[in-house]
Amino acid sequence: MSQEHIDQAISREYSAGFISAIESDTLPPGLDEEVICWISHKKGEPDWLLQWRLEAYRGFRQMEEPTWAHVHYPPIDLEAVSYYSSPRSMKDGPKSLDEVDPELLATYAKLGIPLHEQEVLAGVAVDAVFDSVSVATTFRGKLAEAGVIFCPISEAVHSHPELVRKYLGTVVPRKDNYYAALNSAVFSDGSFVYIPKGVRCPMELSTYFRINEAKTGQFERTLIIADEGSHVSYLEGCTAPMRDENQLHAAVVELVALDGAQIKYSTVQNWYPGDAQGRGGIYNFVTKRGVAHRDAKISWTQVETGSAVTWKYPSCILRGDNSVGEFYSVALTNNFQQADTGTKMIHLGKNTRSTIISKGISAGASSNAYRGLVRMSPKAAGARNYTQCDSLLIGDRCAAHTFPYIESRNPSAVVEHEATTSKVSEDQLYLCQQRGLDAEKAVSMIVNGFCKEVFKELPMEFAVEAGKLLEVSLEGSVG
Amino acid sequence: MSDFMQQVLDSAATGSPPWLQDWQRAGRQRWQASTLPGRKTEQWKYTSLQGLQQRFVAANSGDVELSAAGVALPQLGGPRLVFVNGFYSPAQSSLESLPPGASLVRFSDADDQQAKRIRAHLGLATGRDEPLFTALNEAAMSDGVFLDIAPGASLAEPIHVVWVSANQGEAFSVTQRLLVLCGESSSASVIEHFAGGAGGQRSFTNGVTELLLQAGATLCHYRLHLEQEAALHIGRVQARLATGATLNSFHLALGSELKRIDLVVDYCGEGAHCELNGVYLPRGTEHVDYHTCIEHRVPNCTSSETFRGIVGDSATAVFNGRIHIHRDAQKTRAQLNNRNLLTSTQAEVNTKPELEIYADDVQCAHGATVAQLDELALHYLRSRGVSRAAGEVMLSFGFINEVIESIRCEALRDYLQPMLAARFARDPALVGQVA
Amino acid sequence: MLKIENLHAGVDGTDILRGLNLEVKPGEVHAIMGPNGSGKSTLGHVLAGRPGYTVTAGSATLLGQDLLQLETEERARLGLFLAFQYPVEIPGVSNMEFLKAAVDAHREQRGQAPIDAVSFMKQARETCKVVDLDPAFLKRGVNEGFSGGEKKRNELMQMILLEPRLAILDETDSGLDIDALQVVARGVNAMRSSERAFVLVTHYQRLLDYIEPDHVHVLADGRIVRSGDKSLALELEARGYAWLEDEVA
Repeated sequence: MSQEHIDQAISREYSAGFISAIESDTLPPGLDEEVICWISHKKGEPDWLLQWRLEAYRGFRQMEEPTWAHVHYPPIDLEAVSYYSSPRSMKDGPKSLDEVDPELLATYAKLGIPLHEQEVLAGVAVDAVFDSVSVATTFRGKLAEAGVIFCPISEAVHSHPELVRKYLGTVVPRKDNYYAALNSAVFSDGSFVYIPKGVRCPMELSTYFRINEAKTGQFERTLIIADEGSHVSYLEGCTAPMRDENQLHAAVVELVALDGAQIKYSTVQNWYPGDAQGRGGIYNFVTKRGVAHRDAKISWTQVETGSAVTWKYPSCILRGDNSVGEFYSVALTNNFQQADTGTKMIHLGKNTRSTIISKGISAGASSNAYRGLVRMSPKAAGARNYTQCDSLLIGDRCAAHTFPYIESRNPSAVVEHEATTSKVSEDQLYLCQQRGLDAEKAVSMIVNGFCKEVFKELPMEFAVEAGKLLEVSLEGSVG
Repeated sequence: MSDFMQQVLDSAATGSPPWLQDWQRAGRQRWQASTLPGRKTEQWKYTSLQGLQQRFVAANSGDVELSAAGVALPQLGGPRLVFVNGFYSPAQSSLESLPPGASLVRFSDADDQQAKRIRAHLGLATGRDEPLFTALNEAAMSDGVFLDIAPGASLAEPIHVVWVSANQGEAFSVTQRLLVLCGESSSASVIEHFAGGAGGQRSFTNGVTELLLQAGATLCHYRLHLEQEAALHIGRVQARLATGATLNSFHLALGSELKRIDLVVDYCGEGAHCELNGVYLPRGTEHVDYHTCIEHRVPNCTSSETFRGIVGDSATAVFNGRIHIHRDAQKTRAQLNNRNLLTSTQAEVNTKPELEIYADDVQCAHGATVAQLDELALHYLRSRGVSRAAGEVMLSFGFINEVIESIRCEALRDYLQPMLAARFARDPALVGQVA
Repeated sequence: MLKIENLHAGVDGTDILRGLNLEVKPGEVHAIMGPNGSGKSTLGHVLAGRPGYTVTAGSATLLGQDLLQLETEERARLGLFLAFQYPVEIPGVSNMEFLKAAVDAHREQRGQAPIDAVSFMKQARETCKVVDLDPAFLKRGVNEGFSGGEKKRNELMQMILLEPRLAILDETDSGLDIDALQVVARGVNAMRSSERAFVLVTHYQRLLDYIEPDHVHVLADGRIVRSGDKSLALELEARGYAWLEDEVA
């Protein structure tokens, strides 16, 4: 491939990188207890939640930023971040989609996420979170018929306080880690899902996160509760405008799968990755964790192509006997992106099973690390884990790392871990080119094949998107 | 810092040659500037140094018969150097069979010419800013062994260097240091052998071995940690491979209260190869920790690593196997495999194979398992009439025997196989090679 | 000797054998033939007591003892030998060690002391010759890196050394060339006696050219659907299995 091609490809823009001209109410930068009180007051929260936030904040002030991840970035000035931004038109709150600011709807339409129900992706209910607030949730009526609650968490605090209070912070405790504590203190919005006993959620639920405002951080919090024997599939997508400065995204996702319940959580993360020189991009520091009770199943699938720095380990605590945890991941880094991502499978119950399939692709001058923990506790008799981590290197300036921690304290538990690292096979490339494909197309095809095991876990709508995303993200990586 | 350190430092002899005293001073400075790592230090996440927080005194003389220390050494035919409680034991050593082309000298006994060669090579593999326990090793280094193999020399018999912990009452500490220099295109075998410790005698050995392989050299290196019970050991082997060098390194550790061994192989010239294998067998409340690191710095090298462990009773095993491929190390082939058997509900294994890769044209793979014995293999044995219990020991032994079989030194294999078979209550006559 | 009545058994809750009856008398050679998936291999595994296989109904006795109540090794010591279709590899355990442990276990059952190592090695080497296996294989790990044919010969060697009362050969002929097939046949024929019986599980008639069976049974859908003499095997060779299945259906 010629230099010209490469330059051309690299210069292609991040397609979600536009900025929407939306008037917004944005809190001045800075973080103290007053800011937290302000956020809580703004949302009209009950006192228990304010106290909960303040407790998290005080814990946060005692904590230090973690340094163990294989990522490098200049210190983040938390005082320079605005902790709340909401589109002005939200002030009185839209009563229905018709009242949503047309500019906002246009923004989502541009992202390919139509919020008008009649145009909506077949069978997918969407909650759209713009900067700090949820702007629209579709199909709520239809979901309500099935007893499913799908609404912004800020609303759930008022409409279903008993559920929120019972489960919030039970999976990811307030002071779990530095960024989770920060999120607990300042979280502004996010999605709340409750699936009643025995109900199979009639459609896919999805949230699209969008950071628009400059100098803001996004701190959303998602809580999904699948009651006994229920099923739900949840999708999450993220984008942000191109800006030269780095922006912080520190989310917390908590999943509770009660006895026999199944939660499938899929993410396509396409936050702005920064430009080809490594300027700008999102710092994506996320804590995602689920607890699986008896016979329950939690399945995480993620396609990570965005963000300048990613620090993310969707995990499963397999508390109940026979519970199942899965983690399917594709993480692609290009240019100067850095990712340190993986999972934890904590086997507590008997005959618990977990599967980890991780595919890392590094290109450009990027760094991509898999970090995982499989822990077999003394009580996890008969537990099984299988882990397969493969890394693909494209170009000689990138890096790929694998850090799997295996801790076993039960002799009847079986843990198997395998990892490989290699570059795109020259034979495969040769075959494709001999059949007339150009190098870039060939690599994209081979990479897609490399990721197939993970893509097949994605819901149909996302699988197509993920494949395209991979192709776009790889552009300019083949020399 | 702790009492422990002061005692270890005090145990250093004062009458060393001036050049050694320089090393001691430098080591002492580095050691004093540092703190003992805790469990929050990644490298020590699974291994506590609590056992070192006690008083260790300088060892007495090493005037103890090996038989009295319960140690029986194999007859390997080559030269042997024996140290008891850190003291050289001329009576139990034999250097007569040292072949031409090899020189074996103690640091404290080196003449000017030899001291010059030691000073030119000591610390080349470890580097001066190396880890804490290397600083301690140097601070307390009053002696050491230098094996100098001339270019082109080919040694048929292995050089056997033995360190024995024998009873002397109070807990004592020993500093062990070995420097092996393999000249261009030479070939040799070295067996480092640690023994003793039975009977509850407490001791702490801080061992550092440097292996320098010059172009085209071949070295078979064996490090046997057969010391037991309260014989604590923190050890490190650092190897440097020049162009076309080959290192075959085998490690064995029976457990003791604390055993932590770091193995580092540095590739400094193209076309080098290393095979690094090991077996660990802690039981009771023992703790064994192997940290290995393969540094592929240059292109066109290969490495292959296999470690297996059987962990019983309430013992703990830690394995950390890192493969680091530097930016320029294209065309590297590296693989690592770590398998563990847990044989008790109280036992624990923590393993972490790591890949850190900065070059793209490489083929690397690693695998790790923790499991019980293979049920199907057990069924096959039982279908031939072998009882479950007998089948289990047979398979356990077979599990490690696969690695033992990789030992190239036949005399050593013949020594270890029956010894380990006996540990698994197997009939020693059948376990070894069939005549 | 072997008596199986109304045996129902399977893996993971699916029944594979559905009411199988079979009686084998001392001195007899039975061939069990049948299409793939008919349950031929399951029969051997159920009788040997392979983990994962469960019996849901019926009985199986060997020499008057209830096989199904015994542990795998107890069945073996009673005189049941199963030559595996896919012999298991056990790296690190030498073939010699394995063979002696098995022989000693059988001797112990008969109240005999363990055989001394020297005479055993001699015996093992001689047996190697009988089954046409290089004695170097004795030093290697059990079946480790053996070719398909070498594994089958190793099974045969074990059978000769263990002197079972009832030997079940599970598709021992599959994947063997003609020379190896003759070695197997020679081994079996040499062991035939009035005290010993054989059950040959096979897909093809070919093996029966060399080992003449007294009875031939056809297994389909977990049951014996037809029994006859060796001419039945020839008929199957000529007509396949489909006509029988149709007939049964």
